[in-house]
Amino acid sequence: MDLLEYQAKELFQKVGIPILPSQTIHDIGELKRLHIPYPVVLKSQVRAGGRGKVGGIRFVENTIDGIAAASAIFNLPISNEYPEVILAEAHYDSQSEFFLAIVLDYQLQCPVLLGSSKGGMDVDTLLQNMEKVVLTDNFSAFHARHLAVKMGLTGELIAVVSDIVEKMYHLFLSADLDIIEINPLGVKNNGEVMALDGKIAINDSAIARHPDLSLWTNHELNFASPLRWLKGDIKSGEIGLICNSYGLALSSWDLIREQQGKLAGALILEDNHQSLSLGNQLELALEKMRELPKLKVIFINILGTNETSEVVADVISQYLQPAFLPRSDDRMTRPTGANSLGRERSPMKENSNREYVPIVIRLVKGNLEPFQAKVSALPIYWNTSLEQCIADTLSLVDSDA
Amino acid sequence: MKWQPDSKVLLQGINHPLGTYYATQMKDSGTQLVAGVSVGQGGEVLADIPIFDLVEEAVNQFGIIEMSVILNPAYEVLDAALEAIAAGIKQLIIVSSGVPPLDMISLLRKAETSHTFILGSGSQGLLIPDKLSVGTLDISSYSPGKVGIISHCDALTDDIARELTQAGLGQSFVVSLGTDGLIGSNFEQWLQVLEEDEQTEVILLLGQPNSHGEIKAADYIASAIEKPVIAYLAGRYATLDKHFGDSTTIIANQLSQVFPVINSVQKTIIAFEKAKIPVTKKPWELPSLINTALKKTKLVDKEDS
Repeated sequence: MDLLEYQAKELFQKVGIPILPSQTIHDIGELKRLHIPYPVVLKSQVRAGGRGKVGGIRFVENTIDGIAAASAIFNLPISNEYPEVILAEAHYDSQSEFFLAIVLDYQLQCPVLLGSSKGGMDVDTLLQNMEKVVLTDNFSAFHARHLAVKMGLTGELIAVVSDIVEKMYHLFLSADLDIIEINPLGVKNNGEVMALDGKIAINDSAIARHPDLSLWTNHELNFASPLRWLKGDIKSGEIGLICNSYGLALSSWDLIREQQGKLAGALILEDNHQSLSLGNQLELALEKMRELPKLKVIFINILGTNETSEVVADVISQYLQPAFLPRSDDRMTRPTGANSLGRERSPMKENSNREYVPIVIRLVKGNLEPFQAKVSALPIYWNTSLEQCIADTLSLVDSDA
Repeated sequence: MKWQPDSKVLLQGINHPLGTYYATQMKDSGTQLVAGVSVGQGGEVLADIPIFDLVEEAVNQFGIIEMSVILNPAYEVLDAALEAIAAGIKQLIIVSSGVPPLDMISLLRKAETSHTFILGSGSQGLLIPDKLSVGTLDISSYSPGKVGIISHCDALTDDIARELTQAGLGQSFVVSLGTDGLIGSNFEQWLQVLEEDEQTEVILLLGQPNSHGEIKAADYIASAIEKPVIAYLAGRYATLDKHFGDSTTIIANQLSQVFPVINSVQKTIIAFEKAKIPVTKKPWELPSLINTALKKTKLVDKEDS
C-alpha cells in the first residue's frame, strides 16, 4: 500500500528524519487558518508520480494566491486521481538535492540501499548517478556510510546522509516496507538536510500487523473488502468471476480475455480467510456481484474437496431459489442438517429477478446429483469441463445483448 | 537435496481449518506423517497422529524428523520455521501464503547458515504419486506416470494435473514452488532434479508470466535441460498491482510513474520463445502437447539406439 506524502512525512518525523513545518488542507477554507508563514508550497496529495510537471505543486505568496492555487489543485486529476488533501509546506532553498531509497529487491531477495547525488525531478540524470549497496547480511550503519561515499559525498555530509539512511532503514524494518524513498533530500551548504518529498509503500502482506498504519488504508477504494479481488472494469464489465484459488482466477481470466470477454473482476475465496467461512465468502461474493452495473453472467470455478463442492452448491441454490421459484414451492425447503451456512437473507425487492444474472459453474468434485436436481429449474449452467464453461460464459454474454 | 518417501514428516499448525484433512491426505498417499504440532493441544490425537505443543517434544519422541509441513498463520510462519530448524529438521515446506517478505528474508538467511531447505512460502508442497505427499496437493488428482511438474501457481496445479491424469498422463514428481514474492527455491533447482529423475520423461512448467523467476527458468532450460519442457503461464491479462522485480526497475518505474510498469509479461513470453519451449494459452491443450513431446523423445531414442 502506497502512503501519501504527508503520511510518509509523519513517519519520517517519528524516526527523526527532518521535515519542514507543514499543514494538511482538506478544504480551501483552511488556508485562512494557516499556521506556517508565507511563502508556502501547496502540494497535491496523490499517489501518482510526476505531479510537479503537471501543476500539482504550486508556490504561493499570500492567502488570495493560496486559495486560487488550492482550488486549481483540488480540481486537477493526476493519473485519474483527484487529491482529497493538499499539503501546505514552508519553502526551502536547497543548494543541492539528493535521492535516497531503500527497496526490497525480489530478485536478490534482500533490501537494497539506493542513493543518487543528483536527486530531484530529472529522472534520467538521477538514475545515471544511482549507487547501490546490497544488504546481503543484516544492516549496520557502515552500509549507509558505504552508500554515502559511493554517492561521492565527502566530509561532514557522509555522516549526515548516512544518519538519514540509518533512520530510513529503521522505519523500513519496523513498518515492513516495500519502499522508502526521499526525493529530494534538500541539502544546504552548512550541512543541513531536509526531506522535501517522500514515498513509502507498506508491504500488503504485512499491513495487518501494523494496526496504526492500516488506519490510512481506509481511504483506498476497495470494492470487494474483505474478500480478495482481482480488479477488472467495474463500470462496464459484463463477466464476473468467482474462484477459490488465485491461479484458477488468473487462468479463467486469460481464457475469457483471449476471446474478448469483458471482465468486471474476480473475487477469490480463501480456505483460510481471516473471518469468513467459505460459504459465507461465497454468499458475500454473490451479493457483491449484484452491485456490478453491466454484469451479464457469473462464472464460478471451484476446486477443492467434496465438501467444498457441496458447500458451494448449497449456497448457490439457496441464493437463486427465492428469486426464481414461488415461495410456496416445497422444493425450497432444504434438509436442516446442511443449514449451518445459511444466514438471514435480506427481504426481496419487487421484480428482483432481473438482478439475478445466469451462473456458469464448474465444480469438479463431490456428489452433485442432488444439487443438479435442485437447480434444474434455475439459470445455472453446470459443467466440469473448463473449455465448455468458458464457451458457455461467453455465449451467455452475447445472447443477452 | 534428497526427497525420500520414507522420511519422517511433521505437520506444524495442524489446528488449521483443514489441518486434519491435509494430515489424512498425506497419510493416505503413503507419507510417514508421525506427529502434529499445535500449541495447547499437546497430548491429543488428530488424524490418528499424536499432537505435541513443541516441535522439540515430537523430535524427542520420534528421533530425527526429516521434513516439516508448516500450516501456521502467515505471521507465525517465521517463528514456526525457526522452531523446526532449532529442532534439527532440514526440509521445510511452507504452505501458508502471505508471509511478510522481511520475515522470509530472515528465514532464508537462517536456512542458509543451518543448511535447511525451504519450499515456499505459499507452496502446495511436493508429491510423488502413491509414494509421498508433503503439503496440500490434492492426491486424488494425481497418478503415477512420466510427467514431472514444477509449478509456480497455486491450486491451479491440481486442476491441470487432473486433466492430465484423465488423459492417461500420470506424474512422476510434482513440486509447487510457492506463490509469495520471496520463496525458498527456484525453478532451476527443480529442473535439475527432474532432468536427473529417471521416472520423468517430460517436464511441465506452470508459471506466472510476470515473474522474473520464469525468465531465468527459460534461459536455464535452453542451456541445461535435455528433456522436453512444456509450459503454461497463468495471468497474461490480469492487471497485477505487484511487481516483484529488482530494485532498479522498481525505482525506475516508481520515478516515472506517469507511464508505469514495463511489460514484464511480454518479456517472459519472448524468453520462452527464445528457449523454444512450447507455451499454450489453453490448459486443455496440455495433454496433446505433452503426448507430442513424448512421441518426439521416443523417436530420438530410437535414432540414438
